[in-house]
Amino acid sequence: MAERLNYYILFATYTQGMALKDHLRSAGIPCRISPAPRSIQGELGCGMSLLLEEEHIEAAKQCIRENHAEYYDIQALPCQINAKRGRFC
Amino acid sequence: MIYLDNAATTLVKPPEVIEAVVTAMKTLGNAGRGVNDASLDAARTIYGTRVKLAEFFHAENPRNVVFTCNSTESLNIAIKGLIDPGDHVISTELEHNSVLRPLYEMQEKGAEVTFVKADRRGCVQYENFEAAVKENTKAIVCTHASNLTGNMLDLKKIGAVAKAHGLLFIVDASQTAGVFPIDVQELGIDVLCFTGHKSMLGPQGTGGMIVRDGLVIRPLKSGGSGVQTYSKTHPKEMPTALEAGTLNGHGIAGLNAAVDYINREGMDNIREREMMLMRRFYEGIKDIPNIHIYGDMEAEARSPIVSINLGEYDSSEVSDELHMSYGISTRSGAHCAPLMHGALGTVSQGAVRFSFSHFNTEEEIDTAIAALRELTDA
Repeated sequence: MAERLNYYILFATYTQGMALKDHLRSAGIPCRISPAPRSIQGELGCGMSLLLEEEHIEAAKQCIRENHAEYYDIQALPCQINAKRGRFC
Repeated sequence: MIYLDNAATTLVKPPEVIEAVVTAMKTLGNAGRGVNDASLDAARTIYGTRVKLAEFFHAENPRNVVFTCNSTESLNIAIKGLIDPGDHVISTELEHNSVLRPLYEMQEKGAEVTFVKADRRGCVQYENFEAAVKENTKAIVCTHASNLTGNMLDLKKIGAVAKAHGLLFIVDASQTAGVFPIDVQELGIDVLCFTGHKSMLGPQGTGGMIVRDGLVIRPLKSGGSGVQTYSKTHPKEMPTALEAGTLNGHGIAGLNAAVDYINREGMDNIREREMMLMRRFYEGIKDIPNIHIYGDMEAEARSPIVSINLGEYDSSEVSDELHMSYGISTRSGAHCAPLMHGALGTVSQGAVRFSFSHFNTEEEIDTAIAALRELTDA
């Protein structure tokens, strides 16, 4: 079975994260707020991230560019727990 | 009780403000501290309020909205975070101690301050701002309206001086935010300081600042931020840079509802009603023998405040009599405005301040007029 990747958009502040969440919602790009994994948070990241599926990453990047939205980083991590989550808010 | 001390705090709040605070106290976690549902509810509420306040004051971006406990905290952050020893600051005699005392502190540390004088009506000459500019002038710090007389300062004129000389423009909008439209970009305001509990109609313990995009202010506090835990220094990104510690999420939820209320009722409608009540009061008392009314009552735009004295009566005694015999709440004394009282010549007597809310009724105003007439046997 192919390894599933989770894509996390990381932020320096919650305010940046909440702002991008609004932009992505307006653009109809599915994502949900998720705790930022420690392993990719780095020194500047905050504890919240936006979790996206791979197929939506390019659209999200486009949305970021169009809105001059602030973020810290975008990272992919293999999904470690096979939770029953196919749900994005 | 007839409450006419709305310049101190508005007593009557819209019911939805109270409901929003109660709901928030039952549901909100700590914003920016985890991403559980309760924490996210708080984060959404606070971010949503930033968005609304950014629109309300025409800020460039919600990140420029910083939450504080009140105007005093905002002004302390702005003044102590932007002024350095050797800098010169221009302010006015209309100011509240929330501006004066931080400025005096900076004076002790080596800054210079020039206070533009006010006349016996509490008015300034605008050319005196230009005349006060020196080579080391860094900022103009002024109120939008005096909390004692209700006189307003023309922010367009003062902002033009600041812009012409490249000065920072810091404005205390304690008495005007919520009733007078303030466009920080149009007026060239670098830092707008406001409180949530007066004309914004929100809870006490709320307030904030609108900071010009890109302006870096030295923080007054550092500590918990919920972000960048392993960094030894406080985050530099706005608004977190100026918001150490848990925010007043419950109060901010109330402020959010208050902004909705003002937008729905219409700021112009609220202001016009307050002006009407103020004029009604003024017209009813202006001919009372031996009454002294302070401030420029002819000005078209003014904060809904009328401060008076009756003859040589001590202002506290008049205020106490209004309270005990008529159930009318006013504010006597010095109003944290020492220079303004100095200009008006009321340092020893103080003054009795009546300040109005759109929730006051015409009957309440008429009762207050009748009470003053009775006190003077007019």
